[in-house]
Amino acid sequence: MTETVRDSEQQVFETNSGIPVEELYDAHALQGFDPERDLGAPGEFPFTRGPYAGMYRRRIWTRRFQVGFGSPQESNERIRYLYENGANGFVITIDLPTSYGFDSDDPIAEGEVGVTGVTLSTLEDMSALYEGFGPDRVSYALSIRPPVSSVTLAMLACVAEDKGVPFKDVIGTQQNDPFYQMSGGPLQTITQFFPLDGTLRLCIDNIEFISKHMPRLNWMVTNGYNLRETGVNAVEDGAFTLAHAFDIFRMARARGLDVNEFPRRASFFLSASMDFFEEIAKFRAMRRLYARTMRDELGATDPACLRLRFSVQTAGNTLTTQQPEVNIVRAGIEAMAAVFGGAQSIHLCSYDEGHGLPTEESSRIALRTQQVVAYETGVTRTIDPLAGSYYVEHLTNRLEQAIQTKIREIDQMGGMASAIRDGWLEQQINAARYRNQRELDSGRRTLVGVNRFTIPASEEKPVRVHRIRADEWGARRGDYLRNYRMHRDADRWNAGLSRVEEGWKANENMVPVIMNALRCQATMGEIHEAMRRAQGWRFR
Amino acid sequence: MNSPKRILLAKMGLDCHDTGIITVAQQLRENGFEVIYLGLHNSAQQVIKAAMEEDVDLVGVSFLSGQHMAQMCNLLEAMREAGMRLPVICGGVIPDDDAAELRGMGVAEVIRPGCLTADILRIVSSALEMRRE
Repeated sequence: MTETVRDSEQQVFETNSGIPVEELYDAHALQGFDPERDLGAPGEFPFTRGPYAGMYRRRIWTRRFQVGFGSPQESNERIRYLYENGANGFVITIDLPTSYGFDSDDPIAEGEVGVTGVTLSTLEDMSALYEGFGPDRVSYALSIRPPVSSVTLAMLACVAEDKGVPFKDVIGTQQNDPFYQMSGGPLQTITQFFPLDGTLRLCIDNIEFISKHMPRLNWMVTNGYNLRETGVNAVEDGAFTLAHAFDIFRMARARGLDVNEFPRRASFFLSASMDFFEEIAKFRAMRRLYARTMRDELGATDPACLRLRFSVQTAGNTLTTQQPEVNIVRAGIEAMAAVFGGAQSIHLCSYDEGHGLPTEESSRIALRTQQVVAYETGVTRTIDPLAGSYYVEHLTNRLEQAIQTKIREIDQMGGMASAIRDGWLEQQINAARYRNQRELDSGRRTLVGVNRFTIPASEEKPVRVHRIRADEWGARRGDYLRNYRMHRDADRWNAGLSRVEEGWKANENMVPVIMNALRCQATMGEIHEAMRRAQGWRFR
Repeated sequence: MNSPKRILLAKMGLDCHDTGIITVAQQLRENGFEVIYLGLHNSAQQVIKAAMEEDVDLVGVSFLSGQHMAQMCNLLEAMREAGMRLPVICGGVIPDDDAAELRGMGVAEVIRPGCLTADILRIVSSALEMRRE
């Protein structure tokens, strides 16, 4: 090997978000630091050391399985196989047509049906996904946002009724993030197919329905992960995520919901990226800032409404297409950051994501990696082992301040919804994208295998990826829906959709109204169309 | 000096992963190209219409979540029908086998993740030379 470059000449002594890093930290770094006030005990205010007492000594983080492809029947088969092998928590990914509220046979869905997740167009589809068990026994985390999450929540409620499961026993998660759920810059994704105000209204409808009827169902308001994947840094990640959540909480409060009730089941989905200590500090700082803001600004007093709980996925955007096996190491290090940061649930990216959809083999390696972290390294033996470190506490303080400052900036613009609407967030994201590319081009930042330590393309091994059958899935779903529409009672169907329009205009909570429409055999796409009609809004 | 080359970039279908294409747009602009970025969710017809109206020299599209084969078939077919012979670059997460197949179908170049700006410029210049061959 010829890597004799003097590495010290190339180093940049600042974190990924630009916080300067000193040569050495000592007691001076912690002036004004009060462990009692700033750390507290695990499970106690301000939750810096973790949301729960006992943390991983009591229960290792959840290793959820991500499932979802093709039809609900195929996904259910896979889920039942995993269930029989001991898994009872699943992240259900949803295909793109469904994510936007389109039926599988909508022309816009061509080539996309079942590709990135399961397709759900009818109540029957959701029943098929729950074939073999009730929503009180297996926990599905549905990666879905409003407006669509109002329909999937209504589907879930119908399935619970059909299976005789009381609403209060229903478990799982509805993602329900109105802004960040779709990947990429949010502006166009949340305004092209449905009005933004309508999306927000449905978000709050869902929170209201869940907090009143399904106390064990999580609603995860904030998908900070997808936002981070656009390239923003840890400070922006923390600020855009929290500012957005507080915004939604204020809207829920304005609806008359109790700030000591509804946030209980709120949770966050966050990214663990490559800057190891900064990511750890980010998680600890976010937890503390959340607790302080919920108490001091939103007026919550119940500890369950002050603790930030989050699941983590390792950062897909830190992975490389070149020398892909190296990604296993990256995901492993990022998972360690999530553990030191106190995550409740972790999912690792597969090493082949730069090449295509992960295979069973690459998914298994990702799971094994976190099992090594959990069961071999001993990092779980004591809670928050980095607490009191001059550097980590200093960095946690700096992150908290920087995130707080940015949140104030957003609040002054009228909150995250305004910041998105007027294009400010999109500008921030694009600036981050260019900055990242420039740093790679100039070599200011090292990406092993891309701008340093490369090998010729001819030495790269071919990577096998998961094959998709979009044509086949699309055709089969087309047949299914044609048949479904042909055999329903047209009058009931019509009445169900008219109720959707009426309910919308009368400002009713839409979840029960949509349940009725689903029982009248209206489809996902038709219900969305009725809601658009009620708002006098069209996109095609 | 020739007048600057004009490039149309667009996302097609429902895929909304736009970090790559927006970054490429900026890289090209900073290096003397005129770039028209159409945004997300375009159909083949919308891409072709814009390419004609904007009189571009090259079309670039990008995919991340597995719809590249279906969408590229549509786009190339529609371009043939419209008699449009512009070079097309396909970027994004494209498996090895599919990249070869896309080239066979007439795609000028495939850009995959992990390219530096110099790589992008080299690929675009090479694709531009394929015009009307």
